[in-house]
Amino acid sequence: IPAVGVKYYLHFTTEDYISGQNAGSCVATVLYLKNSRPAVNIKCLHTKDQNQIQDEDNRFHQQLRQQTKPIIANDIPDSHGNIDRALIPVWGLAVAGSSYVMFEKSTENLGYFMAQVKAVKQRIRKDNAAEFEFAVLLHETPTQKIDLCHIHVIWTLGHPLRVKYICASENHRLEDGSGMESGSASGILHEREGNF
Amino acid sequence: DQVLHIVPETLQQVQHLQHLCSTFLLDLWKPPLPEDIWAGEDLDIRVPAPLLQAVKDSLDQHMIPYKVLIHDVQELVDQSMPREMSSHRQTPEGYVYTQYHPMDKIYEWMTLIQENNRELVTQHYLGNTFENRPMYYLKISQPSDKTKKIIWMDCGIHAREWISPAFCQWFVKEILQNYESDAKIRRFLQNLDLYILPVLNVDGYIYSWETARLWRKNRSPHMNGTCYGTDLNRNFNSSWGSVGVSYNCSSEIFCGSGPESEPETKAVVQLIESKKSDILCYLTIHSYGQYILTPYGSTTEPPSNNEELMHVAQEAAAALMGKYGTSYEVGSTSLILYSNSGSSRDWAHMIGIPFSYTFELRDKGTYGFVLPADQIQPTCEETM
Repeated sequence: IPAVGVKYYLHFTTEDYISGQNAGSCVATVLYLKNSRPAVNIKCLHTKDQNQIQDEDNRFHQQLRQQTKPIIANDIPDSHGNIDRALIPVWGLAVAGSSYVMFEKSTENLGYFMAQVKAVKQRIRKDNAAEFEFAVLLHETPTQKIDLCHIHVIWTLGHPLRVKYICASENHRLEDGSGMESGSASGILHEREGNF
Repeated sequence: DQVLHIVPETLQQVQHLQHLCSTFLLDLWKPPLPEDIWAGEDLDIRVPAPLLQAVKDSLDQHMIPYKVLIHDVQELVDQSMPREMSSHRQTPEGYVYTQYHPMDKIYEWMTLIQENNRELVTQHYLGNTFENRPMYYLKISQPSDKTKKIIWMDCGIHAREWISPAFCQWFVKEILQNYESDAKIRRFLQNLDLYILPVLNVDGYIYSWETARLWRKNRSPHMNGTCYGTDLNRNFNSSWGSVGVSYNCSSEIFCGSGPESEPETKAVVQLIESKKSDILCYLTIHSYGQYILTPYGSTTEPPSNNEELMHVAQEAAAALMGKYGTSYEVGSTSLILYSNSGSSRDWAHMIGIPFSYTFELRDKGTYGFVLPADQIQPTCEETM
């Protein structure tokens, strides 16, 4: 669209990240503008029963809140692709949190996949939310770069995830650009919420 | 080592033999203890090789006759035990193809494959990596008096793509294991030689096992050792350095200081150049993405034989899908993936090899580079 940007029309199928089962299809438009974040319009048809999804979420959420010891783990999957069965839902949560980050970071020319969860640490809370800190490796294409992102997730049942993150790549830019002292405590912490 | 049989005749001889056993700490087979050595009774002693001459000289000096009962103890041991690897005809028994293996195991595997299949397989030295490790390829060829066309396949040009070397190993196993029973394979090999390079980027592969699982490039140092690695698949002389690369060592797609600057690249180039008139097909195996990519990455200009290239690739993708329903996308790199220059696939086609393809194996991003080992078998079966 001359002088405005580029608009893409998409029709695609989705699948459950963990089981690989068909999860439905979506229709979307993405408008890449010159100086702002892309505008996305999307409508999906889910094949999985929404009630069933809610039940699974409830069960998982309850499990997390009932933990007396915080869940702590590394390398999911490990070098050989293995994931402890008990940690599969935690991996799923990492994917969900990462998707916020990947959505923010992607551009018309840069795409992402979540390559590996390097570390996960649960923070036990007194209220009815589940809280996690993830260190995640994102694979960027076509640059082939691997970016390390620290992602903080707060999940309250029935609400969208609250995600805060900071990636190593951004820190670097900050140092280079503004001449700040090295010391990554002073990075940009992004907050992201909303209906995803 | 040898085992000597002696029957001492006198007390003096018994004493001398006891002395010999305790001095040299010899291994008494019969009787077990020196104090049980008696005149007129059998004595069997194992003498280690380095002591043999000295012991025999001493026996001669004291006029004690002896007989060599066993001339080579090791040989007997080898014969009596089924050696783990040598008994099975085609492939090393016990080698688990559904697991990822570190480089030292892969080197061992190559040696054993050649040993167990001498009529069909020869191992060849290609060159050295930056860290001076040998690069070997396996040539699978049916003995014949005619020169055959060649199909080349290399795996592991990018260190973190572990499913790729796993596929090369699987491929070799499949061909050799089914050579006798599968007429198609025999017909194939009547007219074609297969050259398989299981791990091209040896240094990188080892680095991904020992230090950083997601390493991609080789391990050549730059900037006074402050930065490591060239992307070998950007280092070939095919529009080198023009598009989809970085000139900065810190990038994962750093194309190197010049075309073919890396020893690994040079080693492959040398061999392929020397045989290019006989090479029909160049295959290079990567992950992930599930694509069969045709030239070129450096330009959208289609190659001269594009129709045929596409047709063959589409047939391959259809056959692949027939196995487990896995879908692979087929097309020119620059059109369906992204632009890149200096790729080995582009280079192979540019020097005249008619069929040149990059395979990007499973998956589509769920596990990405850390594809679980339980997907090795289905991935390899469908790709075969």
